[in-house]
Amino acid sequence: MSKNLTQLARRKGIDDTLFQRLIVSDKSSKSLSDEQKKTAAKEFLIGEAVVQGTASFYDFIDGENANKKAYVCNGSSCLCAGTQTKVTEHLTNEFGEDQIGHVTCLGRCFENSAFQVSDKNFSGDDIENLSEIIKDKTSKSNEGYQVKTTLTTPILSAQINNVNQYYQQFANLLDQYSADELLAKISDSGLRGRGGAGFPTGFKWQSCRDVKSDEKYIVCNADEGDAGAFSDRYLLEQRPHAVLYGMLVAGYLVGASTGVLYIRDEYPAAIDIVEQAIEEFYRLADIKEAFEFTFKIIRGAGAYICGEETALLRSIEGQRPVVSVRPPFPTQSGLFGCPTVLNNVETFASIHFILSDDGQNFKNMGNGKSTGSKLISLDSSFTYPGIYEVAMGTSLDSVFELAGGFSKPLKALQIGGPLGGVVPLNKVSQLTVDFESFAKAGFLLGHASIIGIPNHTKMIEYIEHLFEFTAAESCGKCYPCSLGSVRGHELVRNAISGKQLIDSELLNDLLETMQLGSLCALGGGVPLPIQNVLQYFDDEIRQYCQAPSSVKEPANV
Amino acid sequence: MSNSPTTNLTIKNSYKPSAFLNGVSHHIVKGESILEFCRRLEQEIPTLCDDYRLDAFGSCRVCSVDVALSADGPRRVMASCHSPISDGMHIYTHSERVEKLRKNILELVISDLPDDYSPQSAPHNNEFDQVVIANGVSEVRFARGEKSSDKLPEVSRDQSHPYMRMNLDMCIDCNRCVRACDEIQGEQVLSVSGRGFNSRIIKGQDVNFDDSDCVSCGACAQTCPTGAISDVFRDNLTAEFNDNIETTRTVCSYCGVGCNLDVSVKDNKIISITAPSDAEVNSGHTCLKGRYAWRFYNHPDRLTSPLVRIDGELQKVSWQYAFDYLADKLSAIKSAFGADAIAGISSARCTNEENYLLQKMIRLNIGTNNIDCCARVCHSPTAYGMQKSFGTGAATNSIEDLKQTEFIMLIGANPTAAHPVTGAKIKQKVMKGTPLIVIDPVKTELARFANWHIQLRPGTNVAVLNMMAFYIINEGLVDQSFIDNRTEAYKEYSQAILALNIDELAIVSGVDKTLVREAAIAYAKATNAMSFHGLGVTEHSQGSRAIMCIADLVMLTGNIGREGVGMNPLRGQNNVQGAADMGCQPHQGAGYFPVDDEENVNYYREHYNVGKHERWPTDIGYKIPEMFNAALAGDLKALWILGEDVVQTDPNQKHVIASLANLDLLVVQEIFLSETAKMADVVLPGTSFLEKSGTFTNGERRVQRVNAAVKPKDGCKTDGQIIVEMMNALGYSQPEYVAEDVLAEIAQVVPFFAGITWENLGDHGLQWPVSDGGNDTKILHVDAFKRGLGKFHFYQFEESSEIVSHSEQYPYILTTSRNLEHYNAGTMTRRTDNKVIVSEDVLLVSRQDAKVNNIKTNDQVKLFSARGEIELKAEVSDKVKAGVLFTTFHFPELMINQVTGNVTDKHTKCPEYKVVAVGIELVS
Repeated sequence: MSKNLTQLARRKGIDDTLFQRLIVSDKSSKSLSDEQKKTAAKEFLIGEAVVQGTASFYDFIDGENANKKAYVCNGSSCLCAGTQTKVTEHLTNEFGEDQIGHVTCLGRCFENSAFQVSDKNFSGDDIENLSEIIKDKTSKSNEGYQVKTTLTTPILSAQINNVNQYYQQFANLLDQYSADELLAKISDSGLRGRGGAGFPTGFKWQSCRDVKSDEKYIVCNADEGDAGAFSDRYLLEQRPHAVLYGMLVAGYLVGASTGVLYIRDEYPAAIDIVEQAIEEFYRLADIKEAFEFTFKIIRGAGAYICGEETALLRSIEGQRPVVSVRPPFPTQSGLFGCPTVLNNVETFASIHFILSDDGQNFKNMGNGKSTGSKLISLDSSFTYPGIYEVAMGTSLDSVFELAGGFSKPLKALQIGGPLGGVVPLNKVSQLTVDFESFAKAGFLLGHASIIGIPNHTKMIEYIEHLFEFTAAESCGKCYPCSLGSVRGHELVRNAISGKQLIDSELLNDLLETMQLGSLCALGGGVPLPIQNVLQYFDDEIRQYCQAPSSVKEPANV
Repeated sequence: MSNSPTTNLTIKNSYKPSAFLNGVSHHIVKGESILEFCRRLEQEIPTLCDDYRLDAFGSCRVCSVDVALSADGPRRVMASCHSPISDGMHIYTHSERVEKLRKNILELVISDLPDDYSPQSAPHNNEFDQVVIANGVSEVRFARGEKSSDKLPEVSRDQSHPYMRMNLDMCIDCNRCVRACDEIQGEQVLSVSGRGFNSRIIKGQDVNFDDSDCVSCGACAQTCPTGAISDVFRDNLTAEFNDNIETTRTVCSYCGVGCNLDVSVKDNKIISITAPSDAEVNSGHTCLKGRYAWRFYNHPDRLTSPLVRIDGELQKVSWQYAFDYLADKLSAIKSAFGADAIAGISSARCTNEENYLLQKMIRLNIGTNNIDCCARVCHSPTAYGMQKSFGTGAATNSIEDLKQTEFIMLIGANPTAAHPVTGAKIKQKVMKGTPLIVIDPVKTELARFANWHIQLRPGTNVAVLNMMAFYIINEGLVDQSFIDNRTEAYKEYSQAILALNIDELAIVSGVDKTLVREAAIAYAKATNAMSFHGLGVTEHSQGSRAIMCIADLVMLTGNIGREGVGMNPLRGQNNVQGAADMGCQPHQGAGYFPVDDEENVNYYREHYNVGKHERWPTDIGYKIPEMFNAALAGDLKALWILGEDVVQTDPNQKHVIASLANLDLLVVQEIFLSETAKMADVVLPGTSFLEKSGTFTNGERRVQRVNAAVKPKDGCKTDGQIIVEMMNALGYSQPEYVAEDVLAEIAQVVPFFAGITWENLGDHGLQWPVSDGGNDTKILHVDAFKRGLGKFHFYQFEESSEIVSHSEQYPYILTTSRNLEHYNAGTMTRRTDNKVIVSEDVLLVSRQDAKVNNIKTNDQVKLFSARGEIELKAEVSDKVKAGVLFTTFHFPELMINQVTGNVTDKHTKCPEYKVVAVGIELVS
C-alpha cells in the first residue's frame, strides 16, 4: 500500500473514489479512455500509472474479462456439477465465443448452470430461456433455494417484518445503556468474525473505539468470493436491514459516522436491494435524531483478493488491491488511514439479536468458544440445497440429514471455500459446526460453504483447479503465492498430461513454502485442501508421482 | 510477597524490554521491526524487497525468521521486515526451517528468470545475485515453465530515454522501484499492471520512459536489486566489472540542498554517480542534475589554457605569463586609480575556502571592500531581513525538521524544480496530509497539492503577508506569551497592521481575501509550522521587506526556536550561504563583521597580520549592481569574476555588457568560455567541483566536505590554487591551496566555524555555529534571538517602480524561474543530456491572454520590455493567471535578461527579476 495514495484518496473522501470512477462512469463499457484516465489522475493528484495499474487489476475494468456480453460461472460447485459446458454452448451460440467471459462464483451453487447476462444473474433452468432473457430486459431468474433452520428462534434467518420497529431497538438501547455497556454485551456474547478467521468481534470493536480519531469507518466485507458460499448473498438480498443495523451499532460504539458496504460486482441484485434498504433507513426519522450515520455502497469489480481485508480497503481507496502488511491493523489504520472496523456481512447481521436481550441467548448456543448460530451454504450435491442456519456446535451429520442427504454419489466435500479443507466422507461424522472441531480435525470451518465433490471427479484435477484458481486470483505481491501457485499448477498439469510425474518432495516443499511464507490466507491457505487430498486420496494421486528414489533432472543453475 | 513496594518500583523503573536473538538477550527499541532489531545487532538477514528508506512491503518473504514467545514455546514463521519486535520474543534467524524456506523462495524466483541466468556467472554482482549466492541456492528443480517475461511488450525493454533504462526480463517484482518513485520522489510514474504472476512494472499509461512523466531522479535505478531498471551509467558500471573503480564521496554543486554523491571513477574518468544511502541530507536520493548531469566535466568545450586578450583576441598563454600580466595590470590600476577602482565577484559554486581566499585577496592584497557574490542577486534580502528581525541571516532550522512539522508555508519558491530533493520531501509530507499554504503567482507542482494556493500578482508579497498578519492578529490567534517574552516593537506593528485596508490589499494583489483569511487562521492554529521561501520573495523591490514580513508571521505565532518550525530560506546555489559566510560581501567581512566598525577593523587587521602602516579597507564597498554602474561611470577599472556569468544572468543585459566593456581589465575564472568570459581580458581556466576539494555550506548551514573525484583537467588549476598563485604574484606569501589548511585558517577568523576541522566534519558535515569540540547547531534562536529580542517590522505595500513606470505601455508581468532539468545559465547542464530532455526556454501564457493575443502552444512570440526584446516559443498553460507570463533563463540563445530591468531591492540592491513589465505579440 502507499500511504500517499491512501491520504490523497482521503482528501476526496468516500463519495468520490477513483475506484468507483473507474467502473461506473460509463457502465456500458466499464472502462475509461486513456484521456479520461489522464484527467482522473490529475484530479486525484496521482500518477497516471496508478490509474492504469488499478484499472488493469480487475477482471471487469481493464482485465481480460472486461466488457463481455455474457459471463459463465467457473466456481468449484458449477465445475463439479458439470453443468457449464452446456451453458457455455448456449451462450456462445447467442453471443459468439469472444463475447463470453468468466466469473468465479455467482453464488448460485444450489442449482448451478450459473451465468450472467446484461448485469443480471441466472441459474438452473434459466439457460433454456436464454433467448427470452436477452429479449426481455425485465426477465428474472427462476432460482430457488431452501432456507432452513434448526433454531426455534432464528437469529440470521428471522424475518424482519417491521423495519421501523426493528431499528427502534437502537433508539431504546441508547436510552438505556452506555456505549461501554453495549460493547460489553457484544464482547460477552462471544461473537466471532464470520468471514472465516473467527476473530472476537467485541475485542476488535473495543480496540477501534480506543483509538482517538475524528474520522473512523465501519466497513462491511460483502465480497463473498469463496466459491460455494452464498450465505452473504442471502443476507444482503433477504435481510439487508440486519446488516445495516449491525454496522449502525458498530458506528455508534466506535465513534464512526460512515458505513461502507463493499459488495461484489457479481451480486448485482444485492447491490440494488441494499441500496433500497439504505434509502429506507434514511427515512427513519427517529434514528437520525439518535445518531447520524451514513451508508455508502462500493461496487467491486471482479477480484477474489478483495475479500482479504487490507486488499478490500486499498480497493476502496483506488489503489491496486494488493494485500498490505499488518500491523497496522485496520482498527488502528484502515480506510483512508483512519481507524476502521471491518467485518463480514454475517457478523454484522448477528448484532440485532445479541442486543435484543443480555446476549445470553446467543452465548448459550454453541460450545462456549464458538457461540451463536452459523449460516451454512449447501450446494446442489444435497437433496435440498440452500441456506441452513444452525446453532454453533451442531453436528454436521444432522445438518446433512435436514438437507435430505446427498443428491448424488460423492467422495469428498470441500468445506469453507477454496482455502477450506477437503473432507473425505468418512470424516464428516467427527465434525460439528464450530471453529474448534474443524481445526482439531485438520480442516477449516471458514465461511461454512459446502461443495460436494462427485465420485467421478479426479482428485488430481481438483488439485489442478485449486492451483489454477490461486494463480488466477493471486494479487501477485508475495513470491510464495504468485510464483508458487503457477509452478504448482504446472507440476500437476505436467503430471496429468503425462509430461512429467510429480516430484513429491518438490511438491511438499512448494506447499510448505506457500504455507509458511505467504503474506495472506490465499497463498497460505490453499496448501490445506491440497494436503488433504494428498493425505486422503493417496491411492488416486500416487500414480501421478515419481517414486521417491527417482533421479532428479540436472539443475539448470 | 517478599519484595517491599519500593524495590518493586525500582525494578519497574529500570525494566527495559528485551528480546532474544538466537538465544542471547538484547534490549529492544520501541517501534522497530524484527529486521531492524536484528540489523541493529549486526545479524545478517537476507532481503530482496526491503530498502530501509521505504515502508515495509512484505513481498519477498526471504527475511522470514522463526519466532517463539518463550524459549521452548511453539515457533511461528514471520516475515521480519513487517513484524514488530516485542518484549520477550525469541528470534531464530537461521533455523533449518527458515533457511529452507528462503532457499525455496529463491528457487521460485530464479525459475521465473531467463533460462541462462546464473548468479555465479552473472556479471552484475548485484544485490539479488549476492542474496542468491549467500543462501546457497544452486538448482531449480521445477521443469521449465511459463515465465512472466514471456509476454512482455516492447515498453518493458526500454531504451527510449537519454538516461533511464528498463529490461523487465530480470524483474523480480519486489516493487522497490514503484515504491521509491512514490515514497521518495513522490512522482508515481511507476506502477504495476495486471495481477498475480503476470503483473509487471509500467510507466505512466504503459508508455516508454521518454513519453512518461518521469523526472529522471534515478531513485528506481538506484534501488533496483537486479538491474531490471537501470540507467546508462550504471550499465557502464556493470560492464566495467567493478575492476579498479574507486568511489569518492562528495557534495553536489547544483543547489543549496547539499546532496552527498558517490562518484565512481576508473582511470581518472567518471563512470557513474550514485547517492550514498547513509547521507543525512539526501539518504541516497538526488535529482537528475546531481545523478546524471555530470558529463560537462570533461566536455570538449572546457577551457584548458589561460587566455589573455592580445591585439583584441583572446590568445593562449602560459600561467606564468597570465599571472605576471595580471600583477602588472592590477598594480598599475591600483597606483593610478586607487584600490577602490578594483573589485571582485566571487562564486557561490566554489568552495568556502576559495571564496574566503578571494575576499582575502581583494581586501588584503588589493585593499578594498569591493567584493560581492551572487547572493546579491538572490538571497541578499534574506540575509539582510533575517538579520534585522532575528540577528542571523540564515535558515533557523534544518530540513530534517520536516519530519516533525505539522504545517508548511511555502512562499515564492518552487523547490520541486530548484531544490528537488527538499521539494520531494515537502511533497511527501503534503501528500500524507500535512497542510500546505503556497503563496506564488505560478501554479507550481506543490501548489497543486496545496490546501491554500494564494496565487498573487507578482510583486505583491508584502500586501499578502500583511493580510495574513491582519487576520492572525484580528482573530486573536497570536502567541501572546512569545510576543511578550521574546520580541519587541509589537505594539506599533500590530496597530499599523490593524489599520490596513484589507479589501484594497486583496484587490492590489489579486487574491481572494477569504482564502487568505482561512490560510492565516490555519497557519496560526498549527502547533508547529515551518516556513520556506525562495527567490520569489527576495528578488523584488520590496524583497527585504517581504522577508521581514515573513519573520513577523513567524514571531506572531511563536514558530521559532524548536524542532519542526522556523523560517527557512531555500538557498539557490550550492554554496551561496558559504560565499556570504566567508565575507564575499562589501559591507561585512568573513564571519559577518561590519567592515566599517573600528573594532572589527582591528579584529581583521590582527587576524591577517596587517602591518601598522599597511592599508586595510574600512569603507563599505560596491554591491554588484553598483559595480556595473561604477564601471560605466569610469570609476571602476578592473573586475575579477570567479565563476559567474553575469552577462547571461544579471538583469538588463545591455547595461551589463556596456559596463564590462568600459573596464580596463576584466578577469574571469571559468571552466567554459561563458558569455562573460568572451568579454574578458584575461581568462583563467578553473575546475568544476568534481576536480577539487574544500567545503560547501548548504541552505541549512551545514558545512560538508567536497572531495576531488578526478584530477583537474589538463591545463586547469583549482580555483583556490589560481587565487593563491595570484596572491603570491602580488607579493603576498600564501601557501599552496590545501582545503584542510585554508579551512583551519577560516576557523581562526570566522567565530561560528571555530569548532570545525576537516577531520570532524566527517561524512555528514556540521551545522554552524560549531563550537569547540565540534558541537554543531541544528536550530537557531532557541532561548533567545541572536539579536536579543526578535523585532517586528511594519512596511506598507509599495508598487514596484517597474510597474508604475511601464505597465501602461507593457501591460503584462513577466516572472522568471528555473526548471528542474537546467541550472542557472545552463553552462553545466546544457553540456549534458539534460539538453535532450529540455532544449529551450518556453514562455507560459494563460489561456485568456493566449486567446486575446491569438497565441497557440508552440507559436513563436516576441517578448518586449523597456530594455529590449527577445523571441521565444509559447506554451498555453493553466500555471499562470491572466496578465502574468512565465519563463526560465537557462539558454543563452534566448538571453531573457535583455528584457529584465534595473529596479532593485531598496535595502540590498538585489535585482527585481521577478517583476518585469512586458508586452507580447505573435511572430507571424
